[in-house]
Amino acid sequence: MAATAPPSRVTRAGGITGNRTVFAIACGLMVLFLLVPLAHNGYLENLVRGVLMFATLAYGWNMIGGYTGYVSFGNVVFFGLGSFTSAALWQHFQQQNVLVAIVASCLVAVVFALVFGIPILRLKGHYFGIATLGLSIAIQEVIANIDWLGGGSGFTVRQIEPFQIYYYAMWGVCAASMAATFFVARSKFGYALVAIRENEEAAAILGIDATRMKVLAWAISGMMAASAGAVFAGANGFVDPPTAFAIDNNVFPIVMTILGGVGTAAGPLVGALVLTAINETLWTHFPQIHTLFFGAVIVLVVVFLPRGVLWLLSLRGGIAGYLASVKAYRV
Amino acid sequence: MSAILEVRGVGMRFGGLHALSDVTFSIEKGSVVGLIGPNGSGKTTMMNIISGVYKPSSGEVLFGGKRIADVPMHDVCKLGIARTFQIVKPFANLTVRENVAVGSMYGRTGSKRNSAQSFARAQELCEIVGLARVADKNASDLTIPDRKRLEVAKALALDPDVLLLDEVMAGLNATEVDEALQLLRDVNARGVTLIIVEHLMKAIMSISQSIVVLAEGKKIAEGKPHDVVASSAVVEAYLGSRFARRQEELAQTKREAEEAARVEPQ
Repeated sequence: MAATAPPSRVTRAGGITGNRTVFAIACGLMVLFLLVPLAHNGYLENLVRGVLMFATLAYGWNMIGGYTGYVSFGNVVFFGLGSFTSAALWQHFQQQNVLVAIVASCLVAVVFALVFGIPILRLKGHYFGIATLGLSIAIQEVIANIDWLGGGSGFTVRQIEPFQIYYYAMWGVCAASMAATFFVARSKFGYALVAIRENEEAAAILGIDATRMKVLAWAISGMMAASAGAVFAGANGFVDPPTAFAIDNNVFPIVMTILGGVGTAAGPLVGALVLTAINETLWTHFPQIHTLFFGAVIVLVVVFLPRGVLWLLSLRGGIAGYLASVKAYRV
Repeated sequence: MSAILEVRGVGMRFGGLHALSDVTFSIEKGSVVGLIGPNGSGKTTMMNIISGVYKPSSGEVLFGGKRIADVPMHDVCKLGIARTFQIVKPFANLTVRENVAVGSMYGRTGSKRNSAQSFARAQELCEIVGLARVADKNASDLTIPDRKRLEVAKALALDPDVLLLDEVMAGLNATEVDEALQLLRDVNARGVTLIIVEHLMKAIMSISQSIVVLAEGKKIAEGKPHDVVASSAVVEAYLGSRFARRQEELAQTKREAEEAARVEPQ
């Protein structure tokens, strides 16, 4: 009977989790990343830990911006809160356990997402983006003025031995975010988020409580960013407001998600890898003006790859098909 | 027969515009009711009020004796009310089957279904409305008639008691209209009350048991299809007062002529 035919929901880019082969390759990459510390190459380890951190942030952004369609310009606020939670645990409670820091940061993120999400996620579309931008700037200032949290001068975090622990912790939060994205996206909850993205009114008519779903999505998004922040604080050994709320940590994850593929389970990791590679190459060749080239790369990506590099794989019709698809994103 | 839906003195203002004023009618359980009127007469506004998208400025809507004005939009379907949108609202980047499945995942009975059961139900509904052949296509790739079918399938996925259909037959050819009418009769035969907004008079005359006519936000007629279209108020609303007067005069002349003819032989 046709009714029992399995739904082909993962065969298309732009589907609920994106291309399945690409996701399998991304999983393979993650396994390879496990081997990096064995090389005892400090530069490589730092670089890949950076990729994993940005990928985690990108997964966080993807949940609210990619799946739910609510573009957040302030997800760094969760990263900052996670960093400071982790740092405060060491400073005030001599707690160095990375796992404890991650769990505590997630709790802080959830409380924050519920308290602020319920009012600002009632706003539709762009207003949410503006509200999150304001929120991240405001929270940075608030923390800079609380002495208990180090004030403007920040905290030192004593690092634990061996240092590779932070690498594996970052790998862990990234892998968890990737798995969470995959399973959330395929669940009933994931379909509700996509329905909200596609048409919020039509979603509501089908019985989806949009505000509740959006707040939940933002809380999950925040947990991902906060756990990346918690590990970063330990790995970095020092946290102050400008580091924890750095503009890079806000903008890069968005560009990476778009570059890899918005609303897919592999996109954020692929995007983080590609963008870090581009950034690193430009930085080594053009140390003075690499940000200029980097800015140009971002513009080119948005104009010519509106749905990311993975989307190219699913295109049919060669150059003509590509041009037609790009034009579909022009106003 | 008892009234499943009662609209009592409903008015709706948008700034200075009175989209609806003091509209009252009630709908029997299991019936098919046509809601007609010229463009801008308030039909879609009425649909939006019944489906919880708008809160009426005055009056109230009772569903099974309960006020629905205070029910949030996402809970209206849990009462048993489903609707389609005149300007279709598909989830463009999901397949047709996924679109319908979202309805069966949530809606009135969704909490009882898991993801796989929702997809199976969606497949059944795609077959019922004639979308099985395009079930794996993205909703954005559908033709207009198929988009209308998708709206109906999504609404049916909510297992409604009352289904509001906002111009689902606009843009269909004669054969497609017949198919759509058959589908609606089948749905109605399963006990679903239908409220149909439509411009296609032939279609609405053939399926409705009663018709409510709106013009400029007011109810101007209500009753059996043939009585309603014969009413001079309805003719006036659609074709203007001069036409209505001429019709009246023509009828008057005809009556006089007939009377004269009856008198003459004596």
